[in-house]
Amino acid sequence: MEAIEVTDLRKSYGDTRAVDGVTFTVRAGETFGIIGHNGAGKTTTVECLIGLRRADAGTVRVLGEDPARRRRALAHRLGVQLQDSSLPERIKVAEALRMFGAFYRDASDWRRVMERWGLRPLARKAFGDLSGGQRQRLMLALALVGNPEMVVLDELTTGLDPIARRETWRLIGDLKAAGTTVVLVSHYFDEIEALCDRVAVLARGRVAATGTTGELVARTGTASLEEAYLALEGADR
Amino acid sequence: MKAFTALTAAELRLLSRDPASLFFMVAFPLMLLVLKRGDGGAVPGYLAMIAAIGGMGALPGLLASYRERKVLKRLATTPISPILLLGAQLVSQVAAGLAGSALLVVVTVAVFGARAPGDVLMLTAAFLLCSVMACALGFVIAAVVRNTRGASLIGMLVMFPMIFLSGAAVPRKALPGSLRQIGDFLPLTPAVEALGGAWSGTAVPFPLLILAGIIVAATATGAALFRWE
Ligand SMILES: Nc1ncnc2c1ncn2[C@@H]1O[C@H](COP(=O)(O)OP(=O)(O)OP(=O)(O)O)[C@@H](O)[C@H]1O
Ligand SMILES: [Mg+2]
Repeated sequence: MEAIEVTDLRKSYGDTRAVDGVTFTVRAGETFGIIGHNGAGKTTTVECLIGLRRADAGTVRVLGEDPARRRRALAHRLGVQLQDSSLPERIKVAEALRMFGAFYRDASDWRRVMERWGLRPLARKAFGDLSGGQRQRLMLALALVGNPEMVVLDELTTGLDPIARRETWRLIGDLKAAGTTVVLVSHYFDEIEALCDRVAVLARGRVAATGTTGELVARTGTASLEEAYLALEGADR
Repeated sequence: MKAFTALTAAELRLLSRDPASLFFMVAFPLMLLVLKRGDGGAVPGYLAMIAAIGGMGALPGLLASYRERKVLKRLATTPISPILLLGAQLVSQVAAGLAGSALLVVVTVAVFGARAPGDVLMLTAAFLLCSVMACALGFVIAAVVRNTRGASLIGMLVMFPMIFLSGAAVPRKALPGSLRQIGDFLPLTPAVEALGGAWSGTAVPFPLLILAGIIVAATATGAALFRWE
């Protein structure tokens, strides 16, 4: 079954064509990476997937639903980490996890999520007092506290220290093993290679290529994902 | 319901950690009462003031900052409806105001020995309407003014003159005629009248009706203009 089907998605902000005809599919249980230059349209695409934005044209199906119409029903099955968001300054880590847990029909035990993401020592710390990486970790944990079928993570490990990054990879590995569909946006090739079954390369609002790392490398006649990416981006420019 | 309870509990907890809210909704009215030597006649006005401070002084900046800092956006990706969030904000502001008011009334009667309110039930109802109305006006301000500083500032600019001209801070009898006339058109004026009536135990249905009308109109306006982003 396809977990996500995006067909000819288009979205403009005024004169800016942020997404200009994007098509891809993600299979259930797959870990799918999206990579591309700043302003390529990754966040816009992701926000259309989770129902935060309504597409100008094209169709989007997520877990069999239209996210623009069925945002709330889908939200129970989706975990989301936005590239840019925050929480009230004075809310404490444990309170945020408990509150988000109460939003979902079939939530995980928030204490266990807190434990797994190494947030226990920060339980009584206010969001406003967390470091950037600590906030990121909390936002990831909040994406998972609802026990989702699918997670959408925009800039998964930006701002995390090397150990927290590896730890996050391990936890994403656990999600994969449990059959969760994962869509992740990243600027790191090692991360994409380590985690993703397939990748879409976005450039200027279009899909320059999709495939496994091996396929992209073979298609471009290069030696690594990074070189393949640079070749694809350059060819499109 | 579980989601709403969790949201409201969290909002109340946040409010209780905000020193400015605590001061203006609890300590400040008590200080005024002490300055007035426990004069019970001033209390209905102070109750209106507590409601105005929460709804117009605090709420617009709070909502605007949630929007500006993308807290609303993050919540919009969860199953809760945005309306639920506004509802939780409203309930927590009203509840905090009610707590501050109850304390003020108890101190007035128990410590200063003023006469107890004539109609406690009606006083509570009048306060609830007054507080919901102030929140509805705050919601309109947050809908019209987009950034946090602007929304807080406009909230204050609307609130302060209203407190002084509606009879909440000083009796309207003490105001010069022209200022008193302005007060006739301010939404907090019927609130003070309703609270005053309930305090002395005389029924004042008309101001209550006006308050309900303002709530409906302001909520409709706010809902039409409010943007989540
Ligand atoms: N709210 C907005 N209003 C106007 N323009 C926007 C808005 N959001 C994005 N854009 C524009 O749309 C284009 C795509 O932005 P988007 O955020 O989707 O890129 P991205 O691939 O996520 O980039 P990054 O790697 O920097 O996060 C950019 O040109 C950006 O300037
Ligand atoms: Mg982005």
